[in-house]
Amino acid sequence: MKTILSSESMDIPDGVKIKINARIIEVEGPRGKLTRNFKHLNLDFQLIKDEEGKRKLKIDGWFGSRKTSAAIRTALSHVGNLITGVTKGYRYKMRFVYAHFPINASITSSNTAIEIRNFLGEKKVRKVDMLEGVSILRSEKVKDELILDGNDIELVSRSAALINQKCHVKNKDIRKFLDGIYVSEKGTVVEEHQ
Amino acid sequence: MPFKRYVEIGRVALVNYGKDYGKLVVIVDVIDQNRALVDSPDMVRSQMNFKRLSLTDIKIEINRVPKKKTLIMAMEKADVKNKWENSSWGRRLTVQKRRAALNDFDRFKLMLAKIKKAGIVRQELAKLKKTA
Repeated sequence: MKTILSSESMDIPDGVKIKINARIIEVEGPRGKLTRNFKHLNLDFQLIKDEEGKRKLKIDGWFGSRKTSAAIRTALSHVGNLITGVTKGYRYKMRFVYAHFPINASITSSNTAIEIRNFLGEKKVRKVDMLEGVSILRSEKVKDELILDGNDIELVSRSAALINQKCHVKNKDIRKFLDGIYVSEKGTVVEEHQ
Repeated sequence: MPFKRYVEIGRVALVNYGKDYGKLVVIVDVIDQNRALVDSPDMVRSQMNFKRLSLTDIKIEINRVPKKKTLIMAMEKADVKNKWENSSWGRRLTVQKRRAALNDFDRFKLMLAKIKKAGIVRQELAKLKKTA
């Protein structure tokens, strides 16, 4: 059945500048600027001010089926991620896991690429380029840890996935050969001290 | 950008297809997702598909499915006829009707009037260009 109108709204915190034009959202904040294109969704995006003067983003979906109405909340979540990316940034931490052969990783070309050697004793050198806007470095205090920083959650998490996928074990029982580089923590660059 | 003209009871709409083409009708009830019950002082209350209606900015205060007398009183009170005729959409429609009803002599007179007007405008423009 078609729901005549389904809509949801979210608060926009102070300190971010949002521009919406033709389903292309631009968010600007202290850490930089992010853009996202929602033209694949048929939704109405509006910036409104509610009674107390707080800025809100409202998304309307007219005559939507179940699946298209579900896209409203995901679009809001994506915009929320843009906002936290531009205010707090995203920091993904990855740990090396190895049983016998120490994973030798070196960060190259100004924190935007990583070279992995000696994974499971293999001679093959794996090189992973970080995506745009993502920087990588080895954690100083913690042994065998990588830190990926960036503004766009999609790019940071995809870079982490690329590193993880480069270090898959082949032709072995993966329940026993647990080597690899795994994402250990997903957080923000600017920490909130509670 | 958000929608301003909503399908609601009391919304005045223009029929853009069918037997009642060009009439102003009032949406008096909503039947289902596609159809409305519409009514107008000079027609029998009937159902119409929303695709046959173009919504206007005018809205009147009525209850669901009012009697004909109540509907006519509400339309007088909201002054629908004058609001429509003074709106730019309504004026545009009357001009289009007038143009379509011209006969050849009228078109001739229109041509002369256009030429005269263009001549006056060009004279004034030349004067302004000289002083500039």
